[in-house]
Amino acid sequence: MSTLEDALWTEKYRPRTLSDVVNQKEIVERLKKFISEKNMPHLLFAGSPGTGKTTIALALVRDMFGDNFRDYFLELNASDERGIDVIRNKVKEFARALPGKEVPFKVILLDEADNMTSDAQQALRRTMELFTSTTRFILACNYLSKIIEPIQSRTALFRFYPLKKEDVVARLTYIANKEKVSYDEDALEAIYDVTMGDMRKSINLLQSSSAYGKVTVESVYKVLGLAKPKEIEEMMNYAIQGDFANARSKLRELLITYGLSGEDIVKQMHREIVGGNSLKIPEELKVVIADYLGEAEFRIIEGADDDIQLSAVLAKLSILGSKYVGESASK
Amino acid sequence: MSNLQWFIKYRPKSLAEVENQEEAKEELKSWMESWIQGKPKYKAVLLNGPPGVGKTTIAEALARDYNMELLEMNASDSRRLNDIREIAERASTSSSLFGRGGRLILLDEVDGINSRQDAGAIPGILDVIERSKSPIILTANNAWDPSLRELRTAVRLIDLHRLGKIPLKKILERICKAEKVICDPKGIGAIADLSEGDGRYAINMLQSIAEVYRKVTEDLVKDLVRKKDRTLDPFETLRGIFWAKYFWQARSASTTSEVDYELLMRWLSENVPVQFDNAEDVFRGFDALSRASIFLKRSKLGDWDLLSYVFDLMGPGVAFSESSKSSGQWKAKWRKYQFPTYVQQMSKSKDSRDALKIASEKIAKATHCSSDKAITDYVPFMKFMKVEGFSAEEMTVMGSLEVQGNQGDEKGERGKETRTTRSRRTRKRT
Repeated sequence: MSTLEDALWTEKYRPRTLSDVVNQKEIVERLKKFISEKNMPHLLFAGSPGTGKTTIALALVRDMFGDNFRDYFLELNASDERGIDVIRNKVKEFARALPGKEVPFKVILLDEADNMTSDAQQALRRTMELFTSTTRFILACNYLSKIIEPIQSRTALFRFYPLKKEDVVARLTYIANKEKVSYDEDALEAIYDVTMGDMRKSINLLQSSSAYGKVTVESVYKVLGLAKPKEIEEMMNYAIQGDFANARSKLRELLITYGLSGEDIVKQMHREIVGGNSLKIPEELKVVIADYLGEAEFRIIEGADDDIQLSAVLAKLSILGSKYVGESASK
Repeated sequence: MSNLQWFIKYRPKSLAEVENQEEAKEELKSWMESWIQGKPKYKAVLLNGPPGVGKTTIAEALARDYNMELLEMNASDSRRLNDIREIAERASTSSSLFGRGGRLILLDEVDGINSRQDAGAIPGILDVIERSKSPIILTANNAWDPSLRELRTAVRLIDLHRLGKIPLKKILERICKAEKVICDPKGIGAIADLSEGDGRYAINMLQSIAEVYRKVTEDLVKDLVRKKDRTLDPFETLRGIFWAKYFWQARSASTTSEVDYELLMRWLSENVPVQFDNAEDVFRGFDALSRASIFLKRSKLGDWDLLSYVFDLMGPGVAFSESSKSSGQWKAKWRKYQFPTYVQQMSKSKDSRDALKIASEKIAKATHCSSDKAITDYVPFMKFMKVEGFSAEEMTVMGSLEVQGNQGDEKGERGKETRTTRSRRTRKRT
């Protein structure tokens, strides 16, 4: 037993330097030039979750500044900071102290920057310009299209592509051997298939499945079944059968007991529609539901209240259920 | 039936029709005469009186009597300095005083000006008065508000009285006749009693009863009219919204509630499925609330003018989600409304939600991700991992306590048990 950083394999096996990074080769080569020049522009990392954006940003900073990198590095997550004013103040505070002698700037990593409104991004752009003589920003995002044009044009773009199956399986094999965990080859491939190449999720799943002794296809799916809140599916079934009251009490459980955000609940409902096979509904109904889920997620991002917007989703499912599945479903 | 509110439809057209304000009428007339003679006694008057005594009505009647254009600005609606300046500009360039092109300026509800938020508004108004070549009427519910001190010295104060019961009854009877409503004098008397001298309130009450029942009796008044000067409690608010037949009824129920707009949204969200039986209606109700919550978010981002649309969608938006309302056969359904359970659940679960929040922040910090991501990507798996650094409460909310220390195949089953005990616990708490 040890600290959280050592206990979680995602942290324990996070590559520390750029040379340790096995994939995203082109990106690593370009970044290594910045290290040798001891200079870099503002950077924009775009790509799906678990493709190495944060890892590479951290490795870059460590390579640039050495072991004392924390003195010259500020890490912020746009989803956790309350508003652009908080971000601006933290940046101001951080930028006040002078940079070191060897590298003439300090680095700010702003993760999940695409969760900021475009107004906040405009303000961020001005902040970036204000401190540009002493600081460099690394902005990380999932969706490049959600980053405003003026920021895109002021940053060097790095696109992170989804990891290949052999890369993920090789990394999982390496970790399993280091941890002396026995495994079936096809279990590691199964992990890749269910996480769709998200390295963070893959390693988490490997570590969780190893709790069963051996990592097998069976143990992987067992963990997934226990880790996934079953309330999502139950809630959707109640709603489709027209039982709004029970559907809503499941919703409250997800929001309150599981602490899930409205956005995540919509995404998990979407996953049930796309990949799940537990909902017994016609294919054309799936399309209509997906359409409305998209609208719901859009509104939640716009600021709609989680509980109210999701209640609207459940009411919509009730209407659609009686239309497509019929009264027979309401037993 | 016309949608027009009766208190607008039957507003006196001329000063002569205005009831019960003889002294004020005389003073206003002589003030106007002094302008006509080119020697105005005062540039501006301030009509002071409680709501519904006819301040705006008098200003409008005066403008009509003297054939002037009324330039109106509601001070509590758009309190921007620029608006005031613009009015000052127009006022100072007036060519002729009366007849075509003559102007009367009305600055309504000057005591709605918030001295801190609208710094500069009062000096702006003083500037308007100083430069104006047209007569100006200001109105206030309470002219003795400290923030109006400077203004009071620059104007002539005219007090308006609350409407007495006799003039009130006269007004109500006249409207009943015009609308062909059967009216019981005792019913009219009861409205007059309850409205405490507020003409607008009395007429609104009359309309809300008469339009549904086509008659006004003492019993109906006692059942349906609440005493004035009291905001609506949550149950009254919900009834006011769900039973509304007109946009304005639903809207005024939502704005005169004692419940603030955020909590009112929760009350409505809880009771939309209670009031509506049809799934389509329920959906439309939530859809309106969802739009309202988006506008609320936008208001909070700084554009407080948008709050107005929050009330539109919460009140009328929900009220007219019921499709049968437009059918003509519609009748209000009595339902037993519930306290918003979401609010109760949130407050009861505060401790465990806090623990989950702390745990997810610890994970987020260790793993360089956001706490939302920690909740979706790490928390569900923590029950399979051997970790330190969490309190017992944090372990429990993550469902990992009972798994710890158990090895092998048993673990999966254990995980299940943890989940069950957890949901049982939650249920008991709520």
